[in-house]
Amino acid sequence: MSKVHLFLLLLIVVAAGVILSTVDESSSYENFATAEANPGKEFHVVGTLHNPNEMEYDPLKDPNLFRFFLKDQAGAVRQVVYHDSKPQDFERSEQVVIIGKMSGSAFEASKILTKCPSKYNEDSVEVRSTTRTSYKLMVRPGQNPISDRTL
Amino acid sequence: MTYTGEWLLPGELGHAAVLFSFFTALLGVISFGAQTRGIEGGRSLSWLGLGRWAFGLHTLAVVSIGVVLFVVIYQHRYEYHYAWSHASRALPTHYIISAFWEGQEGSFLLWMFWNVVLGLSIIRTAGRWEAPVMVFVSLAQLMLSSMLLGLYVGDIKIGSSPFVLLRESMQAPIFQQADYLKFITDGNGLNPLLQNPWMVIHPPVLFLGFASTLVPFAYAMAGLATRQYSEWVRPALPWTLFATAMLGTGIVMGAAWAYESLNFGGYWAWDPVENASLIPWLCLVGGLHLMHTWEKRKQSLPSAIILIILSYILVLYATFLTRSGILGDSSVHAFTDLGMSGQLLVFLFAFVIAAAVLLVLSWKHLPRQHQEEPLWSREFWLFMGSLVMALSAFQVLFSTSTPVWNRLFGTNMAPPADVVAYYNRWQLPIAVLILLLGTLAHLLPYKGSRSVPVKKWLLFLMIPTLLLTAAVAIPLRYTNWTYILLLSSSILALLGHLGLLWQQRKKWLRSGGAVAHMGFALMMMGVLISSSRREVVSVNRSGYAYGGQFDEKQNRENVLLWKGEALDMPPYRVTYLGDSVAEPNHYYRVQYEELNPKGEVIDRFVLLPNAQINPKMGLIATPDTRHYAFSDLYTHVTQVMDKESTAGSKEWGPPEPLMLSGSGDTVMMRDGLLIFEGVTTELPVDLTAQLQDADVAVAAQVTWKTLKESYRLRPVYAIRKGAEFRFDDVQAEAGINLSFRRIHPDKKQIELAASVAAPEPRDYIIMKALRFPMINLLWLGAVLTTLGLSMAVVVRHREKNGPRSISISKHDNPG
Repeated sequence: MSKVHLFLLLLIVVAAGVILSTVDESSSYENFATAEANPGKEFHVVGTLHNPNEMEYDPLKDPNLFRFFLKDQAGAVRQVVYHDSKPQDFERSEQVVIIGKMSGSAFEASKILTKCPSKYNEDSVEVRSTTRTSYKLMVRPGQNPISDRTL
Repeated sequence: MTYTGEWLLPGELGHAAVLFSFFTALLGVISFGAQTRGIEGGRSLSWLGLGRWAFGLHTLAVVSIGVVLFVVIYQHRYEYHYAWSHASRALPTHYIISAFWEGQEGSFLLWMFWNVVLGLSIIRTAGRWEAPVMVFVSLAQLMLSSMLLGLYVGDIKIGSSPFVLLRESMQAPIFQQADYLKFITDGNGLNPLLQNPWMVIHPPVLFLGFASTLVPFAYAMAGLATRQYSEWVRPALPWTLFATAMLGTGIVMGAAWAYESLNFGGYWAWDPVENASLIPWLCLVGGLHLMHTWEKRKQSLPSAIILIILSYILVLYATFLTRSGILGDSSVHAFTDLGMSGQLLVFLFAFVIAAAVLLVLSWKHLPRQHQEEPLWSREFWLFMGSLVMALSAFQVLFSTSTPVWNRLFGTNMAPPADVVAYYNRWQLPIAVLILLLGTLAHLLPYKGSRSVPVKKWLLFLMIPTLLLTAAVAIPLRYTNWTYILLLSSSILALLGHLGLLWQQRKKWLRSGGAVAHMGFALMMMGVLISSSRREVVSVNRSGYAYGGQFDEKQNRENVLLWKGEALDMPPYRVTYLGDSVAEPNHYYRVQYEELNPKGEVIDRFVLLPNAQINPKMGLIATPDTRHYAFSDLYTHVTQVMDKESTAGSKEWGPPEPLMLSGSGDTVMMRDGLLIFEGVTTELPVDLTAQLQDADVAVAAQVTWKTLKESYRLRPVYAIRKGAEFRFDDVQAEAGINLSFRRIHPDKKQIELAASVAAPEPRDYIIMKALRFPMINLLWLGAVLTTLGLSMAVVVRHREKNGPRSISISKHDNPG
């Protein structure tokens, strides 16, 4: 066997290592139940903001502490603690992905990703008429036009 | 219904030009293909001439689409969906240009434009390679122009036209009015994140990079198709170097954009979109080195062909990843889905299948060296290095494709919890290997040598490297072995190539390889130091006051700054001075005073981190950075006071009872003096009528003196049919609310109650400040890499056609 073949063999072994490590180290999208069953292991939990009134962020007291309740896709609600500033536009997000682990009864998030419905590419026309009344027309593909009137 | 006010001409012209570009590309494929296959065209028809005509007309069509689209956007013709959704009236001209390529259609157009430029230059210079290479260029143009068609065949949508009208793209009651355009006064505007000077220059360069990977690919395919299995290498070499330089520059510009205008605190986050452009570059660099090996030693041709083909296929794969919507949640800046994933897959697989078929058919004809290369030869280590590049590409590719694996195998994998650490664990050791292999290969001659100058290397390379590594690693307090290895291998590469440069000083233009490798080594050093020793300047020390809630591990990177109140962040004293608004940006003036150990101010400057308080996307913070020679101080706001919601509503403090007995009684309040001047039955005019039949009605005469002004107040107290009435005098402007509570006849006193306005909420910002040491090494290295590659382009272009006149000697022409 030549040294090139030897090297190729080595590369294949490393490449297999890459595949294994990707599968092994990848986190997975789970619910709180799984996170609670495996404390200390990091998961991605997808959910929605539960009861926005109980969201706690007082930058004047501590700008690095943000607490809120998240309802996961199975409907379980847990408190989430995030030691950083509140992500901008958090209230408006229609979906939240938190990455982290359970610690006690709360989920300690190391990262929060939000998905906002009002990203730039959504089609909504804002029309201004002469009487200073503005209409907002929201159109999303596959839906009937919803129109609401605001002064 | 006939709509009024619409300007339909450009749309019709644009649609026609798109169709025309599609058919001219098709004609190009056919003509150049026929020419390549040697089909006789008859006496009056030359296939080559026809192909050139087709491509010329195609160029005209592509330029026309671009001009028409630009006019539509520039003229704010909001009857067109593209103009409406990407531009707005407030947008300055240079951002109108960014708006042009913000959307998928515009960026496809940009890509097509570069392909046209490259195609024209191939027609001019490629000689006998023209026809076979142009087949693949035209094929790429055919695929790209189909992305703009916007036609429906049955239920299948082919392409997405940039000239779709707003009323065609959505349904809303407004479009039932013939003059609907009158009401559409402004467009949706450009995404604020893209309103940055880097976004004017980064996309064209990146797309030139993507486009130029087509040329080496087309040459390799043309070589296989015409059975000139190895002859394509030499004419394709300058193109490969050019593509490497352009794609690399485009990627680094993207990093600079992220660093200068996004607030994730860095230049590279291993985001899928970033990775997607890096993967083809890694393959291209591997392929480039193997093409050199073939030129010099007639070795490694099959691997070179595979890597060059892969680099273009991976560009197409990157296009699929970023534009099909498959990345979904895993990336912050992919394009939105236009429902074209099927068509993108067709594009990808058409090229994959064509390449696979050609490769399989010609596999056994590819020239190979059966003699094994000697261990201590440049070609052997170049080959190893290129395979390591491919491995690096494979690792990034496999991990970035997780959403694709999930879709294919129904798995549920999410990216690793700490993405950066995960990629670094693989890519750091790979970078060490690449640096070491690159240097070793360049130190060794082609063909190998029996004796390796070990002594010379030890003396001039190893010992200085070790000394320099120690000199850098000790002050940085490195204990992590991967860091030390990466540092020392970068220094070794730097010194090694510096030596080569010295040896070749008389033929400096031929040292492009050495310059590019030095640039790469500097980049790696810059990346290592700036990210491993990235330092949080804005450490929040106040957090300790909260006792048990805090421990060392927790994040304390955000600090609260009250307006006008200095806060120590060694070595700085930082003060938030106030904000100013230049719509849509809110600028926050943050003053830094650098203090020496004695506490004296040695430097003072103001940074202006800004934020757009965007009704659609919330607060978008853009950092401001102070650039020093050896580090950057980077600052951005994370939260700001919401002034809109607090303005206007006055809050009153608790009422304070005041007992007054005679004229001249004076009370000192927080914001002014309250002087009592007596009681009168003369009521304020607006109350006289109301209180006509009252039993008692008296007003207190009070003067309220603030620093600025004095006001007369008349609170009223009345009794009617045994009931008390009080009419408070509320003076919002004066900041006082005075109430006549009661009369105490026994004490000959009256009782008032005064509440003063609660103080205006104090302005504050929450900010984060980071220091990136040695980040300039990264940018300097990137410039050197591009410079080195450009030098090599010049050299390779000159010798493209003629035989090489320079003999192969030791240390000649690295890389």
